[in-house]
Amino acid sequence: MNWFQRLSKTGRMEKELDAELRFHFETQVADKIQAGLTEAEARRATRLEFGGLQQIKEDCRESRGTLWLVSIVQDLRFGARILAKSPGFSVTAIVVLALGIGVCTLAFSLYNIIALESIPVRDPATVVRIQRRSPENITPGLPYASIAYYRDNAKSLSAVMATMGSAPLVLNQDEQRVSATFVSSNYFSELGGTAATGRLFDAPRDDPASAPVCVLSFRLWQRKFDGDPSIVGRAIRLGGKPATVIGVASEAFANLGTDDPDLWLPLLQHSYFVEGSKPLADPKFDGLIAMWGRLAPGVSMPSAEQELLSLTNQLRKVYPTVIWDHEYILVTPGAHFFSFDGGPPLLPLISLLVFLILAIACANLGGLLMARGAGRQREIELRFSLGARKLRVFRQLLTENLLLGLLGSLAALPLSFGVLRLVLVYSNAPVWMSALPDWRVFLFTSAMGFVAALLFGLLPTMQMVRRKKNRSLWQQFVVCAQVGASCVLLILAGLLVRATLHTLYADPGFGYEQVLSIDPGMSEHGFAPAQAQAYLDLLQNRLRTVPGVTFVSIARVPPLVSSMVMITSIDVDGHRIMIYPNWVGPDFFQTMRIPLLRGRYFRAGEKDVVILGEALARKRWPNDDPIGKQWEKGKGVVVGVVGNTRAMELNNTDATEIYYPPATDDFPPMSVLVRAAGDPNTLTPTIKAIAGSIDTGLYPTITPLTVGFRKNVAQAEQITTIIGLLGGIAIFLAVVGLLGLISYAVSQRTKEIAIRLALGANRVEIFAAVLRRFAWPVLVGLIAGVAITAGLSQVLRRVLYGISGLDPISYVGAMVILIAILGAAALLPIRRALQLDIARTLHSE
Amino acid sequence: MTPCTSTRPSVYVEVIGMTTQPKFDLPQGTLDLLILRVVSLGPVHGYAIAQRIQMISKEALQIQQGSLYPALHRLENKNFLVAEWGPTETGREAKFYRLTAKGRTQLKTETESWGRLTEVVAMILQHPLGES
Repeated sequence: MNWFQRLSKTGRMEKELDAELRFHFETQVADKIQAGLTEAEARRATRLEFGGLQQIKEDCRESRGTLWLVSIVQDLRFGARILAKSPGFSVTAIVVLALGIGVCTLAFSLYNIIALESIPVRDPATVVRIQRRSPENITPGLPYASIAYYRDNAKSLSAVMATMGSAPLVLNQDEQRVSATFVSSNYFSELGGTAATGRLFDAPRDDPASAPVCVLSFRLWQRKFDGDPSIVGRAIRLGGKPATVIGVASEAFANLGTDDPDLWLPLLQHSYFVEGSKPLADPKFDGLIAMWGRLAPGVSMPSAEQELLSLTNQLRKVYPTVIWDHEYILVTPGAHFFSFDGGPPLLPLISLLVFLILAIACANLGGLLMARGAGRQREIELRFSLGARKLRVFRQLLTENLLLGLLGSLAALPLSFGVLRLVLVYSNAPVWMSALPDWRVFLFTSAMGFVAALLFGLLPTMQMVRRKKNRSLWQQFVVCAQVGASCVLLILAGLLVRATLHTLYADPGFGYEQVLSIDPGMSEHGFAPAQAQAYLDLLQNRLRTVPGVTFVSIARVPPLVSSMVMITSIDVDGHRIMIYPNWVGPDFFQTMRIPLLRGRYFRAGEKDVVILGEALARKRWPNDDPIGKQWEKGKGVVVGVVGNTRAMELNNTDATEIYYPPATDDFPPMSVLVRAAGDPNTLTPTIKAIAGSIDTGLYPTITPLTVGFRKNVAQAEQITTIIGLLGGIAIFLAVVGLLGLISYAVSQRTKEIAIRLALGANRVEIFAAVLRRFAWPVLVGLIAGVAITAGLSQVLRRVLYGISGLDPISYVGAMVILIAILGAAALLPIRRALQLDIARTLHSE
Repeated sequence: MTPCTSTRPSVYVEVIGMTTQPKFDLPQGTLDLLILRVVSLGPVHGYAIAQRIQMISKEALQIQQGSLYPALHRLENKNFLVAEWGPTETGREAKFYRLTAKGRTQLKTETESWGRLTEVVAMILQHPLGES
């Protein structure tokens, strides 16, 4: 009989074992009778010789090698019965675990979708992202000349794809613009994309010379054209340029990277759709074209990097100015939504927070388990007296914990699934992203259940089995850890909530309500500086004549709505100061209502002068008058000082601005700002008409600054909501854990309390005596929590909109809330103890 | 004679007639070797194994049931023994153990190493000390 047969035929094995031992017994009795004893004597003697029959049987079972499995099943069954017997405890424990594990599972599921799961394209393992790097430079894109060279010469790549994002385009005459991505003609075929109707791009047919075409996304097709199949072959206007719709991509088509455009255009026809642009012909055009490749069969990423590096060195001879010194090519897996390579340290920060929540959940559950252990002491004592071995009881209790952990994991899965679904729906995630857990999530969640069971159960269980009476050290450690961790979460929640309120109500330092930003998009259309300057002058002059317009100015970085923010820095006395530069026209400060504090504004056409924000002026020259000083050696005379603003980043209170008059190269990327006397939105049609009459090729983007402001605040609100939720969970967990701990402490001292009461002690005194035991660990926990948060808040400084990382209100508020919760959690069990029946308690032992 | 309570894995054996020194530990694995030896003589049930060890050792060794049966099951589990149910001389059904080929090899190697061990131990014990 093999191991498995022995396991499956337990019943027969038991019967045989019994028969075998009985035979031995009977034969021995028979021998003794033959030797002259009476039957009763013989049986008695034999029984004595045999000793514990059950013990022998258990030893035989153990030597069979299947006992462990049988006993685990037994333990599980027993554990399930114990848990079912006290549903209050079990449900609390499972909810606590589900929350703790659920948050971990949710975070991991998101990470899984974003970075681990392959996007559904053909043969995702061989799709790679290709970027250029050098010790000094990091850029996601490559010049098209390089891409074409690699495409024609690299043997390690079987195909090369290129994608290029674009500014949103006007579709026909719609107010709402559509997003577009320019892609190489092999994009769809190489990724295995199919068409819902019509056809997709096709390498030889869609070149610069052929008729302009576009492919719609399934989403846009449904939204704009009601899924009308006759759209194929119809002409539409994109940014004023006619193009033919050749097809619609299927709903399941997945894009490379984080792009999810409304439609695709052939990269080769870029200069048709964006008039004047020449991304393909100009080797210096850089940074916007992303390169993707498919590895040739059997080629690894490092060997592809090797080959591309040698091609780069050959390419340097052709374009010496384009290729950087020590440039090398980075090849990374391409078929993922997002890769965390080289990003900000977001991942460790999130993991830390998430595991902190699991740790809090486990610490609290540990406290609850200990309170329960006190009640179960009698049961365990009984099992020991019946001859149970220590290890066996320990294993049984551990199995019980594992069962709880498993149930917690099971409850965590739907919880995380539900929240993830909401997140995906809210964020308009691509269709292929599914909230359904895959094997990685299952594995992670069960592992977390296991880890949680060990975290919350190991120490209380060990103490239970060791039958140690004094568990105060562990208890105090748990209180300490729990108070500390809750403290961190509560203070962080407080800081972020306060920060959001601050952005909403604090003065940003400038007036944004009645200002419109007009971005003509000249640099995308390849405007030369002189041409751009002429256009801007004309546009400004025409706008100034419009009734209801009070001020008009140009600015390189329009506040709140600019998609990018520039940052430079200078060193003053060894301190590095971050500076936000902007290039603005003379009327900028009046348009934005930024107060002039000293000196004067720019004059038209002026060069080599700067205006400083007040904070920057004070940092540079703390004691002197900055007016007339030189910003940089030999140039940049300071002519004025203006009020501080948080124009560039609402969330940065350190904001220190410097303003320059525009140089020639600054004109093509310029925007125009318009201040209206009344509602700025009423001006939009007039502005459109004026812009259209100056240049028909441009389609300016007109955005009220209030929209940008709301976007900034909405981001902060989202973060705050999440943190607030986490804080809420922390409070709930803290209440559960402290309830457990204090009930335990009280239950251990029931007798003492009864005696004190019998001797006529004051109830308040007793209350204080019980609480005093927790005073030190609470204090240590609070201090540790404050210290950790103070450290963490430096990392979070950028999202703390104008609130100091050491904001006293958040810290004191969190501590007051925590102490109030501690008191409330203590009240319940102690009240119960104070109402106890003195006589009964004293007689009970 | 008091029954001893058996505790695995060490095996307690009573030595008859030496009340001042009631038990000694049979070295680990020795019981297995004795059982294999007894079973090698032909199919035999558990009771008879205990009887035979007692008889052959001239009552010096008495194997407790608490050690015998776990050992038998362990040897069966290792495939040194196989068991079959069959009638005894008295007509009762009993579980008879028989040596397998693997068990026979094991008996041979164990016997040899036991022999070498006792030889070496005896050599050292009988060596007149202080002569070297």
